[in-house]
Amino acid sequence: MGGVNRERHVAPMQSSVNWALLGLIIERPSYAYALAQRFERTYGDALSLSSVSHAYAALGTLKDRGLIEELPGTRTGRQPKPHYRATARGLEDYHAWLIGQVAEERKRQKVFLLQLTALTRDPEQAMKIVEDYEQACLGETCTTLIATGDEDAPDGALALQARLIAEEKRLAVGAKIAWARYARSELKALANGRAGGLAGERAPNQ
Amino acid sequence: MSLLELRHVCKRRSCGGRKVVVLDDATLRIDAGELVAVWGLRGSGRTTLLRLAAGIDAPDSGTVLFAGRDLLKHGEEILGREIGYCQKSFRAGAGRAAIDEVIVGLLVKGAAPAEARARAREALERVGGERVGARRISELDSGERVRLAIAHALSLQPRLLVIDEPVAGVDLRERDEVLLLLRSLADEGVAILMTVGDLTGLSGADQSLTIGDGELCGSPRRGLEPVADLSLRRQASG
Repeated sequence: MGGVNRERHVAPMQSSVNWALLGLIIERPSYAYALAQRFERTYGDALSLSSVSHAYAALGTLKDRGLIEELPGTRTGRQPKPHYRATARGLEDYHAWLIGQVAEERKRQKVFLLQLTALTRDPEQAMKIVEDYEQACLGETCTTLIATGDEDAPDGALALQARLIAEEKRLAVGAKIAWARYARSELKALANGRAGGLAGERAPNQ
Repeated sequence: MSLLELRHVCKRRSCGGRKVVVLDDATLRIDAGELVAVWGLRGSGRTTLLRLAAGIDAPDSGTVLFAGRDLLKHGEEILGREIGYCQKSFRAGAGRAAIDEVIVGLLVKGAAPAEARARAREALERVGGERVGARRISELDSGERVRLAIAHALSLQPRLLVIDEPVAGVDLRERDEVLLLLRSLADEGVAILMTVGDLTGLSGADQSLTIGDGELCGSPRRGLEPVADLSLRRQASG
């Protein structure tokens, strides 16, 4: 069955919502409505479901691709709530997708940096943009609160998750600030070099 | 009126026989209850900025005001009372009990012995250093020394706490605890100006700044004023 599904769906799954939902199912098997609620709680404004029916559609896709399966015996009663769990392939693909995001993230960042540094030929203007970028990153550090929480408590995994996310943000924003500082220093040297060159060219006329 | 204000401050220092611009036309304002963190590379002028802000050093030009008073004229009466400058080195007293370091500081300022002891205990409790007090300074790890330094400065009930690299050399868990301690002090109304050598130390500040090439670059002051009025940017000196 899984093999049939794999052949039918050759194109990789692109939807971030689908992957996020799969992650929640891997974390804890559950049924559609509860998953939609967990989705909202977990992802907040970072990623959203358009409606609960969006969750049903995503679950259908995951099931068709053989990434999840129904837990036996949960489709019972007058209002059946089939629970879903991840298949071995679901776990494997989720892992691979996460790792693949490293390259995706790098690509996005490269495009952004190409745009950010597009004005290098005009170092004064480029310096201003990089300076504003540095300021924006500094503003981000102010919104990065230090995660606290008892990791030995029953919901300790959530406290750890919050701390890991906060630490990644701190390191990532920190790297951007250090880069901005470096870029400004280099652009300044370039601008000063050009000014020096111009002064040298003017000198014989003075 | 801001608690601390640097107005168009310039400062140069000698380095290998030539003058290096540490701060050029720097402007900074800190209000009561604000936590301000400054990051820069080694030699960027972080410590110079703190020494200027505390009134220990004088600017070459420009003004440093504390509650409207010029630190150049009133520095001696303000430093050690309204401004607490955290010293993390305790060379003279490395062999004595940590609490004695705090007590001596209070006695020097004229506190009676009983009062000095009570205030020292209170300050150590406030920084989570109750168990540090009885131990010798030489036995304390980096995090405990920072707590002791903060307690020492805090015992004088300053309105502004100035601290150089409070999280240098401490492990990650301790780093966050020290930062949370400083955040909580700011939330109680003490203004804090600190430097960090690691960019992760900027987290949770009300203003995050970088220093380098003679300039301060800063984030907008959180929730205080619109961004447009708050730029600490200045034209780079040519």
